[in-house]
Amino acid sequence: MKKTMPYSTPEGYFDSLQGRLSEIPARRSRINLTPYLALAASFALALLAGNYILTKTAASQPASEEEIVEYLIDSGTTLAQLEDAM
Amino acid sequence: MIEQEKLFNDLVRQYSEPLYWHVRTIVGSHEDADDLLQDIFIKVWKALPGFRGDADYFSWLWRIATNEALSFLRKAKVRAALSFSRIDPEAERVSDPNPFFDGDKAMAALRKAIASLPDKQRVVFGMRYYEELSYEQISSITGTSVGALKASYHIAYEKVKAFLTDSD
Repeated sequence: MKKTMPYSTPEGYFDSLQGRLSEIPARRSRINLTPYLALAASFALALLAGNYILTKTAASQPASEEEIVEYLIDSGTTLAQLEDAM
Repeated sequence: MIEQEKLFNDLVRQYSEPLYWHVRTIVGSHEDADDLLQDIFIKVWKALPGFRGDADYFSWLWRIATNEALSFLRKAKVRAALSFSRIDPEAERVSDPNPFFDGDKAMAALRKAIASLPDKQRVVFGMRYYEELSYEQISSITGTSVGALKASYHIAYEKVKAFLTDSD
């Protein structure tokens, strides 16, 4: 077999990739600077959300696609079991 | 923090390109590999303060990347089985008409052959055949014994060869 990687990338991709990856520390630091603001906001949100839940409905929201996928993977459900159930 | 950032940027400089190819061989599509690289390096940044200085960065990075890529594929398959995505992601990746695949017929056959391998065999095949890692290195990344890796690579190699012979 010829040892050629059968994939390619857009031109200049690796330069732009390195640039984007190098921004991660700055982005994460910006996120880390806001915990106190986030705490205050979360209190306000909790009050609003509690009020909404109490006044509107107790009916449960349907689980999102991501939640279902996470649950099935965490619970060790196999693809064969899933296919059988479908 | 400055030290950590410097180290992180060194890792990006040294490893982002080989890590991209590692992930690309596992997931097939350029867009998926690109997204995964972002997630992988975010994990690396978060985990860097707890990383033991005497340990081996290469194995550590490859372990994170391999786990992320395999987890991505598991999720894609569960989604497909639940019919959240109507197209089999495997088939979609293989026949992806985007310009980041070489149009060459032989290369397309090779891509299909690699994509036809079970995920873990594809990981071993990519690391041994393309990245030319030793079985001991692959073992320290995947946690699989050298004997099992040799068997897995042999089976994968024969499957790819048979696939290419049949497609001629």
